Amino acid sequence: MSILTSSDRVVGAASVGRTKRLRPSYWPFVVPALIVVIGVIVFPWVFTLWMSAMEWRIGEEQRFVGLQNYARLFTDVRFLEAMLHTLVYTALSVLAPLVLGTAAALAFNTKLPARGLLRGIFVMPMMATPVAIALVWTMMFHPQLGVLNYLLSLVGIGPLQWVYHPSTVILSLVLVETWQWTPLVMLIVLGGLAALPTEPYESAQIDGATAWQRFRYLTLPMIKPFLMVAVIIRSIDALKSFDILYTITQGGPGTASETINLYLYSVAFTYYDIGYGSAIAVVFFVLIIMLSLILLYLRQRSAWNTGDGQ
Amino acid sequence: MASVSIRNVRKSYGTVEIIKGVSIDIQDGEFVILVGPSGCGKSTLLRMIAGLEEISGGTVAIDDRVVNDVPPKDRDIAMVFQNYALYPHMTIADNMSFALRLKNTAKSEITAKVERAAGILGLGPLLGRFPRQLSGGQRQRVAMGRAIVRDPKVFLFDEPLSNLDAKLRVQMRTEIKEMHQRLKTTTVYVTHDQIEAMTMADKIVVMHDGIIEQIGAPLDLYDNPANMFVAGFIGSPAMNFIPGSIGGDGFTTEGGDRLPLGGRVPAASDGRPAVYGVRPEHFRLADDGMAAEVVVVEPTGSETQMVLRPLGAKAGREDRKRELTWVLRERTGAKPGEVVRIAPDPALAHLFNPDTGLRL
Amino acid sequence: MSRPLRKLLDKAGMAVCVLLLVSPALLFFIWMLSLSLKFEIDNGAYPPILIPDRFAWKNYTTIFEGNSFLLYFWNSLIVTGAATLFALVVGVPAGYGIARMKAHKSAVVIMIARMTPGLSFLIPLFLLFQWLGLLGTLWPQIIIHLVVTVPIVIWIMIGYFETTPMELEEAAMVDGATRWQIFAKVALPIAKPGIVVAFILSVIFSWNNFVFGIVLASRETRTLPVAVYNMLSFEQVSWGPLAAAALVVTLPVLILTVAAQRQIVAGLTAGAVKGG
Ligand SMILES: Nc1ncnc2c1ncn2[C@@H]1O[C@H](COP(=O)(O)OP(=O)(O)O)[C@@H](O)[C@H]1O
Ligand SMILES: [Mg+2]
Repeated sequence: MSILTSSDRVVGAASVGRTKRLRPSYWPFVVPALIVVIGVIVFPWVFTLWMSAMEWRIGEEQRFVGLQNYARLFTDVRFLEAMLHTLVYTALSVLAPLVLGTAAALAFNTKLPARGLLRGIFVMPMMATPVAIALVWTMMFHPQLGVLNYLLSLVGIGPLQWVYHPSTVILSLVLVETWQWTPLVMLIVLGGLAALPTEPYESAQIDGATAWQRFRYLTLPMIKPFLMVAVIIRSIDALKSFDILYTITQGGPGTASETINLYLYSVAFTYYDIGYGSAIAVVFFVLIIMLSLILLYLRQRSAWNTGDGQ
Repeated sequence: MASVSIRNVRKSYGTVEIIKGVSIDIQDGEFVILVGPSGCGKSTLLRMIAGLEEISGGTVAIDDRVVNDVPPKDRDIAMVFQNYALYPHMTIADNMSFALRLKNTAKSEITAKVERAAGILGLGPLLGRFPRQLSGGQRQRVAMGRAIVRDPKVFLFDEPLSNLDAKLRVQMRTEIKEMHQRLKTTTVYVTHDQIEAMTMADKIVVMHDGIIEQIGAPLDLYDNPANMFVAGFIGSPAMNFIPGSIGGDGFTTEGGDRLPLGGRVPAASDGRPAVYGVRPEHFRLADDGMAAEVVVVEPTGSETQMVLRPLGAKAGREDRKRELTWVLRERTGAKPGEVVRIAPDPALAHLFNPDTGLRL
Repeated sequence: MSRPLRKLLDKAGMAVCVLLLVSPALLFFIWMLSLSLKFEIDNGAYPPILIPDRFAWKNYTTIFEGNSFLLYFWNSLIVTGAATLFALVVGVPAGYGIARMKAHKSAVVIMIARMTPGLSFLIPLFLLFQWLGLLGTLWPQIIIHLVVTVPIVIWIMIGYFETTPMELEEAAMVDGATRWQIFAKVALPIAKPGIVVAFILSVIFSWNNFVFGIVLASRETRTLPVAVYNMLSFEQVSWGPLAAAALVVTLPVLILTVAAQRQIVAGLTAGAVKGG
């Protein structure tokens, strides 16, 4: 963003604040949406918080129990395991798409033939209906009839049990998540690459830098803010991941792939333990917000380092 | 048709005062230009007249009606913006008729008014096009057309020519001037270009740092600048300022040269420090003038511009920064390094107080 | 190395690159299509068959016969259509208002809404709908889909209105337009491309949504994703019809993705939004 436009913004900002009588007020434009947001977004937050302090099962009397639901979390082995699964799943589901997505972005940033169409195909996995693709993945994971084991057999590996064995289930699910969400990372990084200046590269080329050196010392530092954005978004989405996990494994085998989100679903809508479920929701929510804040803070710092406010 | 009266108007953003008490009287039908360096508050003042900016203090009145709290749409003004602000999704005709349509003007009247304005500006063949299909100069004309169609009490222009190339700018200058002579609508026009101000205005308001330095007719400002700021701002190349002191019946420069005052010595000012102001075209060759070395010669064909460095009567007092500009009608064979002797025309020179900048 | 050879190698490298890039997506959807067009025998064959000798078109006809698929399709249309339309009606003006008031801080609510897991909206709203006696109709799903669509629309429209020049609206103000006229006749037409982006993304994320339906939908009010999921778990159907159903569900979205990839890319990189 140029200095010019940013100062223009400042100018406008102050003028709107000060010209209440002459300028129209913009509140009426916002009010309908505000009502909707309060109704379907803010109200659920507040209500969840309240319910989390109650003993509340569907069809039974409610009663106030304070922080008891939260205390229960610490001794709930299934919850703690779910927490662990979530963290592992999230870490891998951020890392893999980040690496692959950056590589893909570098490829897409060159003069590919039919770039638009290729990009359209490339982003299809993330736009496709998750349940639909999860069904197909389930078939592909099938140990006997699945195409994946057949492909592996061609290179002499396998057969694997994929989502049907506790030791491979999370990795298999990460594979699906990666397949699905690498395009988003690619798009974000591609946006960053498009904004890069060309002079440093020309001068580096004259200085005799290799392609890898150019990537390592020029591209990578300059796209760092965009990588951070990708990490933030990927983290949030991986933490919240539900459709794929629920459709393919429902947390199984056993509870080997049960994440917090899936456990929350079971507690609230299988056992109808609304109070406890709400407590899990609150903790989950806090976890996501905290992670986001940490990442935002890191991004701020990386933005400082590269000297722009992206 | 209307008069505009600006009384002691102030504008602050937070604690920063941008306009520090400005009063201007604009007569019915007058073409007034606000000129001054970038950031001095011209646009802010214009936008306060338009009603786009709240007035922090003082009053703005159009036709004796105070409009401080009147929203822009009820002020009966038309404004031409720097970037034209043409509605990109409307044809030229729709752009020009937008205001009329908002007022539910009759179709036939709209057509007549648009056609008249298009005729004045030569936009007839373009009416069906969209702004993106026009050149910069044509867009500029549409923006003016949009203002004309309204037939407002006051036209406001905010640097309307600054996005055009030099040649087009000169042409549009003439067109705007012609348009004003034809319509006689009261006009307030903002520019940072003093040549634009000199060539177009009935009355120029020179602004600087949120205050008015001087108001007057173009030539009046040129001949009788109230202070060093106006003297330096109006006229190109800028006036030469030579520091020194008043003594006897003349002026002694810091370099020790004597400059004539033509008997206009201010009373009781012997030995007083002053700044001698003389326009580049008001020097002539004189055997008894100050000696100066030619640094640069720039012939433009119609005239010659020279940069001179006074040698100074007192040896060793020469000062690189005190270079003078001299513009002469005749051609000259002078070459860099030569020494010429020049003297200012005392009748056209000015003395300024070096502390206040005011003319003595 | 000679120049032509070098060029040839470059081209070959490029081709390999392209292939590597799109093959995961392409092969997956091709396999999906293959599964949906094979008879049970072919789907169970080892080694797997990509192109069968006989196409099982009946996989597609069966899903429309027995499973009230048309009803579910209709439900999906209603829920997505209503939630998107309503989101546009309230979200576009809101994006405008927020952009013009420079109330960027208020966008934080949208951000947090974006971070919140869909399930945590479900618990309280489920109780609310139960209490209101709305369960069993499409209303609960339409309303809860607003959790997805409204933030998308607001977020994208804020970004869009911020880039439209204020000067135009000031010109309209001077021209005598009221704030509603400025919005309707100047701001809105200029923001049309932004509205298209918001519309497309809102439709896609609402259409794809699964978690809301699985809790709120009854037998008659299922949307397509829920219906397809139920085919898997409750009725022992074979792979062919299942894959066919999956393809039918996601086909509208895939077509939209390829057709409007430019808008989608613009919207996603601007807001990096995703529903649920
Ligand atoms: N909304 C605002 N908030 C703070 N300062 C402003 C605002 N608008 C203008 N200014 C300041 O007021 C001064 C005058 O601005 P402006 O009237 O645009 O100058 P000009 O048009 O003469 O170049 C500038 O220094 C500018 O930075
Ligand atoms: Mg200005």
